[in-house]
Amino acid sequence: MKKNTATSLAFYVPYALWIVLFVIAPVILIIYQSFFDIDGHFTLDNYATYFQSGTYIMMTINSVWYAFLITLVTLVISYPAAYLLHYAKHKELWLLLIILPTWINLLLKAYAFIGIFSQDGGVNNFLGLFGIAPKQILFTDFSFIFVASYIEIPFMILPIFNGIEELDEGYVNASRDLGAKWSQTFTHVILPLTMSGVKAGVQAVFIPSLSLFMLTRLIGGNRVITLGTAIEEHFLTTMNWGMGSTIGVVLIVAMFIIMFLTGERRKKGAKRA
Amino acid sequence: MKKWKWTNLYLIFVFVMLYVPIIYLIAYSFSEGERMSGFHGFTLAHYAELFADTRMIQIVVDTLMLALLSSLIATIVGTLGALAISRTVRPLVKNTVLSLNNILMVSPDVIIGASFLIFFTALKIPLGFGSVLMSHIAFSIPIVVLMVLPKLQEMQQSMLDAARDLGSTNSQTLARVVLPFITPGILSGFFMAFTYSLDDFAVTFFVTGNGFQTLAVEIYARARQGISLEINALSGVMFIFALLLVIGYYFIQQGSQSRKAKHRKESEAIIHEAAH
Amino acid sequence: MSNVIVELKHVYKRYGDTEVLKDINIEIEQGKFYTLLGPSGSGKTTILRAIAGFLDVSEGEVFFNGEKINDVPANKRRVNTVFQDYALFPHMNVLDNVAYGLRIQKRPKAEIKERVDNALKMVRLSGYENREISELSGGQQQRVAIARAIVLEPEVLLLDEPLSALDAKLRKDMQYELRELQQRLGITFLFVTHDQEEALALSDEIFVMSDGEVQQSGTPVDIYDEPINHFVADFIGESNIVSGHMVKDFVVEFNGKEFECADAGMRPNEPVEVVLRPEDLDITTVGEGKVTVDVDTQLFRGDYYEIVAYDDAKNEWLIHSVNPAKDGDRVDLTFDPEDIHVMRLNESEEDFDARLESYEGE
Repeated sequence: MKKNTATSLAFYVPYALWIVLFVIAPVILIIYQSFFDIDGHFTLDNYATYFQSGTYIMMTINSVWYAFLITLVTLVISYPAAYLLHYAKHKELWLLLIILPTWINLLLKAYAFIGIFSQDGGVNNFLGLFGIAPKQILFTDFSFIFVASYIEIPFMILPIFNGIEELDEGYVNASRDLGAKWSQTFTHVILPLTMSGVKAGVQAVFIPSLSLFMLTRLIGGNRVITLGTAIEEHFLTTMNWGMGSTIGVVLIVAMFIIMFLTGERRKKGAKRA
Repeated sequence: MKKWKWTNLYLIFVFVMLYVPIIYLIAYSFSEGERMSGFHGFTLAHYAELFADTRMIQIVVDTLMLALLSSLIATIVGTLGALAISRTVRPLVKNTVLSLNNILMVSPDVIIGASFLIFFTALKIPLGFGSVLMSHIAFSIPIVVLMVLPKLQEMQQSMLDAARDLGSTNSQTLARVVLPFITPGILSGFFMAFTYSLDDFAVTFFVTGNGFQTLAVEIYARARQGISLEINALSGVMFIFALLLVIGYYFIQQGSQSRKAKHRKESEAIIHEAAH
Repeated sequence: MSNVIVELKHVYKRYGDTEVLKDINIEIEQGKFYTLLGPSGSGKTTILRAIAGFLDVSEGEVFFNGEKINDVPANKRRVNTVFQDYALFPHMNVLDNVAYGLRIQKRPKAEIKERVDNALKMVRLSGYENREISELSGGQQQRVAIARAIVLEPEVLLLDEPLSALDAKLRKDMQYELRELQQRLGITFLFVTHDQEEALALSDEIFVMSDGEVQQSGTPVDIYDEPINHFVADFIGESNIVSGHMVKDFVVEFNGKEFECADAGMRPNEPVEVVLRPEDLDITTVGEGKVTVDVDTQLFRGDYYEIVAYDDAKNEWLIHSVNPAKDGDRVDLTFDPEDIHVMRLNESEEDFDARLESYEGE
């Protein structure tokens, strides 16, 4: 078992370099940056501003609320879909059809909704058939949550589907054999045993939902401001990197809380947009 | 049988929901006029416009080159990383490295973008193709590791023992046993990295300067200015491309199994013949 | 003793505070079939891995053909292994698996082909060269694993519980084949198993292991007939073990009675354990036998009845009989003096051998 040190070193170097340069350094830098104001002076003002001004706190609450709603909507739609998918014939084909939309650029999908939700777009045309006057759908909270949920649904279905696939059918049969009704089997056996998939799905949807700044711009029409939107604005528009970093640090902390609450993150079944 | 219909109805509803916007988008790429409302008659004008748009073509080529290059490098580094992790014996070190590996997997894109922007600025690396390439490599490496590692863990210790027992040195074992065994994982990882790169908008948006555009960044810029059916035409092209990618990925995943299945059929045929 | 091929001298293996091998001394000769027999965790596979070179021993020496090989890496040792899970390379077909070692050695193509053909013929898998591993049955994979090892013409073939994954019928068939193969090849086999029947059927010599120590070594007949201690008697075959004491040479006392026996060389009145094999016990009517028992239950085992009975002191007796007994019947058991095997407590293997020689030579 003598290890050849030269070859082991070749294995470790590029990957270790990546960890140091692109994982550890950026995290340290963003924390470091959060202690500087727009003129490059060391300060704690950014944090003071964040926690004292009502706007940032409200924005955070808003952001978490929207992310929660998006997660809830996708979960409610996805769990039955994943469950039915498990029992469907040709489920591999169905699964492929679920994955396919995730391979289309998020911006193209957002762009599609600009057309669908516009004053003379598909939805208003449809409503017009029933004599309902055109409504302002684009640039509302509803349109933001709808589009975000639309985009996130596949990322919720896949982990839940994987969780259900791992469930041994024997447990379901055992529960029914022991006299449980379907609803009892579901609450006592199926749901607890597929919880890990649900958690993975929640992680896969909730965290990105906090930072969908392109959707807030294109669909939310700047009415919805999430933490992601604020970071983008501070970094690329107002150039107040310190404040942007401060929000980033808050987001990182929020992320760790989510990860902690939903337990050990499992490998996602599909790519993340 | 009644229940069967009911369940399928729900699934079909979900699929319709998923595909309506995409179909809507592509349908209007064939519509005359300039807006996504009221189909005004069939035309290929928007496709003609798209293929005549040299700036757009250049961006598509750049985006593909970037995806290919970044996923190739990420695959190499990620595979080495997976090998390193699998060789690590101490559980504490292993778990720490795995956690570090997963940080970029779970971080929101804006955080990755913002922190990389600070990083490049601190090191005075000019924003442009180089910074975008490095970023894409960086966020693709963990997915490669996560695709390769399970294959390495699937590999029994006894297989490595067997290779040594039969006389191979460590490098021979790596080349002849380990790498061929984990090749499906490496291919999946490469594929994932490729689509990550193609799909990314937020990180690129942060770290690209004025000189370099990817498709996603360009679409964002144009979409903010309003509807242009040239983008719909582009969606049509992208959809076909995505379809090909998915089919390609599907075959990579199924490849080894179906090959085995084919062999099994052949051997069954032989047995069948022998029985007669 | 010139044909000793593998020797372990005072070998220890420790993981932290746990000692998995304790002072192992083993000599393995050319051309014989050896078995390391013991329950799981007894250290038998550890010995195999130490010889193969997959682990370093903590203390002691491993010799191969008289040369110390402690520091020789596995890929340079002239021994080959058949693994418990076969460890066939799943991405290669049968031919590539079997040819693997020869290709590593960069042998000419013609030689590789000839030797692979031969090896496959040996394990009766000719014509399977192009099969994928996943298409083979368990028994066929087993044969490929053997072919892959013997194609390199090792002087010693190590087999790590190679039959444990096979079903009972196939296992029996493979036992015959392994024995035949070993005789045809004329090389040393070192076989690891926890199945005592397998060990008795196959081996020229058995090492019975427990708790990282060799409890007893010898031919299957020796070990079966003269187990050195409670563990060996219990592990090999089925036994009735009762405590008693040695009255004098060739007389032992148990169950409150004195019996004539074939053992000697112990102190008078020394406490001992007495082994009686179930198949050596015969049932007779009360008054004609040596121990009186009440039949409790019985199971039909196909070629014999397994009868459980209790004596008046509530000791359990296991009897193998071709004829059924009746539950609840009171019967006598009878046996010959040579059926009694007396074991001293904590006797070492050397003392045991010396004592046996001292009175059997008479």
